[in-house]
Amino acid sequence: MKYLFPIIILLVLFLNTGKNFEHDASFFSSFEVLDKAPEFYVLKWKEGSRLIPKKTSFYIEVDSIGKQPVLALIGENQKPVLYTANINTPVCADGECKLMNIRLYWTLLGEYAGFDRFPEMPLTKHDHDEFEVQDYQKLHTLLADDKSILGRRSINQLVEKPKLRSVNGVDAVAGATIARVKEAIVSGALYSCYTVWKIVHSDIREQLKHNSLSVLDDYMIRDMLYSINDDYQLFALEKIEDSQYQEHYKQIVEVFKTSTPLVRSIIAKRITSKYKDTPTLQKPFWEAYDIIDSGSKSTLINFLDEAPSFVTMVLSSKLKSMSSNQLKKFLGHLKKNEKIGFEVKRNLEAFSSSDSETYAYIAREFLEENAY
Amino acid sequence: MKNTMRLLVIFVLIIQSNFAQDILIEAESFDNPGGWVIDPQFEQQMGSPYLLAHGIGVPVKNATTKVNFESTGNYHVWVRTKNWVPGNWEAPGRFQLVINNQRIAKILGLRSGWGWEYVDKIQITEKEIDLELVDLTGFDGRIDAIYFSTSEVEPPTSSKKLAEWRKKIKAEPNAPNISKGYDLVVVGGGLAGCATAIAAAEQGLEVALIHDRPVLGGNASEEIRVHTLGIYGNFERILRKIDTEHYPNGSADAKLDQKKRDTNVKSYENIDLFLNHRAYDAKAINNEIQYVDARQTATGNRIRFEAPRFVDATGDGWIGFWAGAEFSYGRESAETYGEDWEEHGELWSPKEADNAVMGSSVLWGSKEINKEVLFPEVPWAMPVARDYAKVAGEWQWEFSNPDYNQIDDAEEIRDHMLRAIYGSFSNAKKDTANANVKLEWVSSLVGKRESRRLVGDYIFTFNDAKEGTKFADGVVTETRDVDIHYQTILEDENNPDFISEALFYKTPQYYIPYRSLYSKNISNLFMAGRNFSCSHAGLGGPRVMLTTGQMGAAVGIAAVICKKYDVNPREVYTGYLKEYLALIEDQKFEKIPEIKK
Repeated sequence: MKYLFPIIILLVLFLNTGKNFEHDASFFSSFEVLDKAPEFYVLKWKEGSRLIPKKTSFYIEVDSIGKQPVLALIGENQKPVLYTANINTPVCADGECKLMNIRLYWTLLGEYAGFDRFPEMPLTKHDHDEFEVQDYQKLHTLLADDKSILGRRSINQLVEKPKLRSVNGVDAVAGATIARVKEAIVSGALYSCYTVWKIVHSDIREQLKHNSLSVLDDYMIRDMLYSINDDYQLFALEKIEDSQYQEHYKQIVEVFKTSTPLVRSIIAKRITSKYKDTPTLQKPFWEAYDIIDSGSKSTLINFLDEAPSFVTMVLSSKLKSMSSNQLKKFLGHLKKNEKIGFEVKRNLEAFSSSDSETYAYIAREFLEENAY
Repeated sequence: MKNTMRLLVIFVLIIQSNFAQDILIEAESFDNPGGWVIDPQFEQQMGSPYLLAHGIGVPVKNATTKVNFESTGNYHVWVRTKNWVPGNWEAPGRFQLVINNQRIAKILGLRSGWGWEYVDKIQITEKEIDLELVDLTGFDGRIDAIYFSTSEVEPPTSSKKLAEWRKKIKAEPNAPNISKGYDLVVVGGGLAGCATAIAAAEQGLEVALIHDRPVLGGNASEEIRVHTLGIYGNFERILRKIDTEHYPNGSADAKLDQKKRDTNVKSYENIDLFLNHRAYDAKAINNEIQYVDARQTATGNRIRFEAPRFVDATGDGWIGFWAGAEFSYGRESAETYGEDWEEHGELWSPKEADNAVMGSSVLWGSKEINKEVLFPEVPWAMPVARDYAKVAGEWQWEFSNPDYNQIDDAEEIRDHMLRAIYGSFSNAKKDTANANVKLEWVSSLVGKRESRRLVGDYIFTFNDAKEGTKFADGVVTETRDVDIHYQTILEDENNPDFISEALFYKTPQYYIPYRSLYSKNISNLFMAGRNFSCSHAGLGGPRVMLTTGQMGAAVGIAAVICKKYDVNPREVYTGYLKEYLALIEDQKFEKIPEIKK
């Protein structure tokens, strides 16, 4: 009895898809050297890379199909760069099942890295329409969202019709959830989206990460620091030694300028401590003050009292980019000093007399109350 | 006599000297606020309750009042106001004054930051005048006070000087004229405060419940409209009197539950309910609170509340703060309490401590009507909303940013959310499919998730929830997942900065000990609600309102033991725990009256 359902599914698939398992066998064995970026990819492809597939002990168990192997893609230093698996899975809805074929990629940390489609086996929607390009793009966005609402709901919860309340006739329980699901998935392809999201974000993530950590070396960490992937950057920032903060400070400045506010705020907390003994290296971080997000500015300015003295000058030329609280913090810092530099004062006066600056009045009040 | 009474009601204050006459009219004390609403939320930051023209895009009805002068003549007139979105556009909250049916030309609401805006020199020809506020936009113009003076000297702007000036001009004595004594004074009428008051009153205590809004429930009230979540634990009978149905957040269904809650709390004869009263001070001597002072939000009348024990259910931990209680704010480092969760790393618990906290929500909604309805252009909202387009907002409409403290900058946070809402709705209205959609309701109140956390004898952490730590004094029970919110902009700068995401950790049943419900260093202070003793990550689960309601009820019962033995909260744990737990067990079911036995 236990095996009856999978057998039926396989039979149905065999009869319905028109694609026999001989084809699928070749599909499974079609791993080749990867010498170009996956079509949908979250990382930056290093030109000239040739990644060689290598067997691992990991696999993904797919309902009624069985184990599907996960391979490591090995770079020139004989270390893994990515992981991949060709997934062949039934997607069932309303008693009808179809096969879905997709090649998935994971990062060294087990996060979603991208996918390739198979032109001869396009993904299809519930009504059998093939995915358009924008649908693949949306699927890519969905899979990259490791906190998607799909992760916390069963498929039954997602397709359940909302219960209506008598008052106002509004969906009482699931209205907001359903709106969020609709927004996240490819229209008409809930089951496909759900199935592949669950595979990507299954236990395999932890296994792959664990595997990477077992072979982790400085070269891999350095690659992560120089990657555009914020998970990699975060990971590398935790792993590198204090001395490497100095060695790689140019790249860390680059990450500070270009990464996500989350990564930026972590760097902001560390600038004054990691570069305490090499204060000149702090300069490019503070000079980036006016191009970073508001939250990181606030985090950074909290460390002003610990910063080298030249920072006051740097920031005095960036008063326009400060919020009212940031400006007050800056002025509070100035107040702790008996005197301020000529240029700082000149910048402050110019700002305070500007008609177009919203917070000029704060600087005016400061100059009125403090005779420099 | 009639005029004298009116003078009292509108709190017109006159100082007369040989040279000048000054009259300060508090806007919140107008005889008739019309469509303007009294907003006392930010009194501690900007100095006073104020009037807000919250018309969601439609100018509100004029506020009107009578003002009496000792003498006629020429007066310089100022208003204390603020342009809440300064920038290169017309200020959204513009308004004018009308004096004796003459509209004063000067457009007001234009200055950056709270302060005095000069109106004009006005000739007052009668000793009693009619004064009106005319809202020009419906977009949250605000006015704190109007000042008439024969002198040309502008009142002070800085908050400290202004407070002194106000006190002087009002000739306020230091202590309120009225004092009231109770067994227990509960400050804050959210779910926690209501449950405290009910639990204590049922056991015979004389209770004062002080709340700064006209209705009870805090985040669950019809004014904010968040549904109550969590389980009922040991206090189902009490919490059923004040909870909500599981309507969608922001639903008008909140009004039905409001009625039930208000009726139930008011049914207790030994609960003295002080609605529209906002506490502004608490005095402790030798770490023992002597009194709490509160002010009526419209009239300004003050009352001193004295009691052997107090409950801080303000959410922001104000009573503890004023009394000098230890408190925490922000996120502890992951290693402080070992609250790391590798899955979500920095988003869950940071390596280095910081001030990032869960944010505040402003809920809103719209409805489809049977004709086309227009919505004004809102250029001042667009830098926040950008291209985000929506016709309603749920819990994910939440704002937190390291630049803003959830208490000190609550007005800016509320205003940021208003810009997000108006801008997103304006964007949605550009879609012809929304031609008939009308903005129906936007809360003007900030629904907070996290602020100050007062420190108790025990600090409840994420690990207590994760491990289901059993405590001998575990009086609150919960099964709800721990969920911690973060702003989605942290992971992608293209996301709007006012949308959050939740991280869920599935827990077993967990317990909150009684020791997390009283202050470590203020001997007669209980706390219930989100300001209970916990870490940032510890707050993730029990911050929802049935859990905070449980805390309140547990505190109310503890106060009964305190009274019985004349002991402080800590001694309930050290000396009377068994009796306390028995009393909690005993209150679970309605008593059968002796007569029916």
